Amino acid sequence: MTPLTETGSLGSSGALVAAILIGFAFGWFLERGGLGSAPKLAGQFYVTDLTVFKVMFSALVTAMLGAFWLDRLGVLRLDLVYLPETFVVPQALGGVLFGADFLVAGLCPGTSCVAAAAGRRDGLGVMIGMLIGVWLFNLTFDRIASMYSATPLGAVRLTDLAGVTPGVGVAVVTALALAGFAVANRIERRRA
Amino acid sequence: MNRLHVALAIVAAFAAAAAGVIDRGSVDRSHPGARAAAIEFISAPDLAQRIMSGDRDLRVFDLRTPDAFAQFHVPGAHRATAASLAGEPLAPQTQVVVYADARQTIVEALQALEKRNHRDVLVLREGLYEWLSRVQEPRLASSPTPEERAEFERAAEMSRFFGGVPRAGVPRDEVPQGYWTGLPRSEALLMDAAVKSVAAIRRRGC
Repeated sequence: MTPLTETGSLGSSGALVAAILIGFAFGWFLERGGLGSAPKLAGQFYVTDLTVFKVMFSALVTAMLGAFWLDRLGVLRLDLVYLPETFVVPQALGGVLFGADFLVAGLCPGTSCVAAAAGRRDGLGVMIGMLIGVWLFNLTFDRIASMYSATPLGAVRLTDLAGVTPGVGVAVVTALALAGFAVANRIERRRA
Repeated sequence: MNRLHVALAIVAAFAAAAAGVIDRGSVDRSHPGARAAAIEFISAPDLAQRIMSGDRDLRVFDLRTPDAFAQFHVPGAHRATAASLAGEPLAPQTQVVVYADARQTIVEALQALEKRNHRDVLVLREGLYEWLSRVQEPRLASSPTPEERAEFERAAEMSRFFGGVPRAGVPRDEVPQGYWTGLPRSEALLMDAAVKSVAAIRRRGC
């Protein structure tokens, strides 16, 4: 029965070892997929290289289908998988900031670590900026605390909001992703 | 697009279509996955109201260590383990409420109750921390909002019922936070605060 960390099968030290191994694998595949390159990532915004879109949606669909079927087959207890709470306004603002950073730096937090590990100075720069941002956030937290916890919706899923079952949600998102892949490939071929 | 991509897309399409088909109706509660998803929580104020009303169909089980139980527990709660719950006499109409320090303990208890086909189980969402924060030892910040004051007055009544001491006019950063104030859950913060609160109660001699 999984998740192994929540059912205690791994133990606390086992969970730490698993986290390191999964983190290493995640970074490795991001780098091998070319996502440690800022120009490649920035290509997303100029619609010249849609690798990011395809990689992220592939990961999303794989995880979603895997989680759904493993739960249905009794292998995974989805209710034990932590579902982050939704805070509409602060998360929308965070999204705008994140997108702006992505456009300016060409890297997000994960890919900046990958780029830095691969010896790229721009990745190191973004990582330093990120750490300064974390420090400033903590310094100013008292002033922004009310905004930080504004408009809470709790741990909601899109399917809860749409009033459909999880399976229908999985089918719709997968269909959108497959259609997106086809459109992305066509756009890239035209631009090539 | 190479052949591998096409093959993967076809597999994904089939898996997604099957997901939509088997899940198109209402959720089947007899399914193991669905049953797991049906686990429900109870808030500390709701539990307090039921204890105060003398609900005879309610049994509360404390799954923490004997020492922690001896220090403080929800009034009326019985000390139990996942193993002891398997043999605990429970009437079919009994609604069980459990709380613990570790999520894993709760999972084991739920599995033990599920095995014996007792499914009317609620989990005290943030455990003893929520009980102390919202029922036993509620605190009101200085310069509160009308909503905070109203919530505190409700909590203060429950606190006095259970022998607690509600405190008003405390610095805002000493008011316990949690999902009920819209803050994300932090296991470490919750447990640290719970330990401190229990220690404070012990010092006061309760």
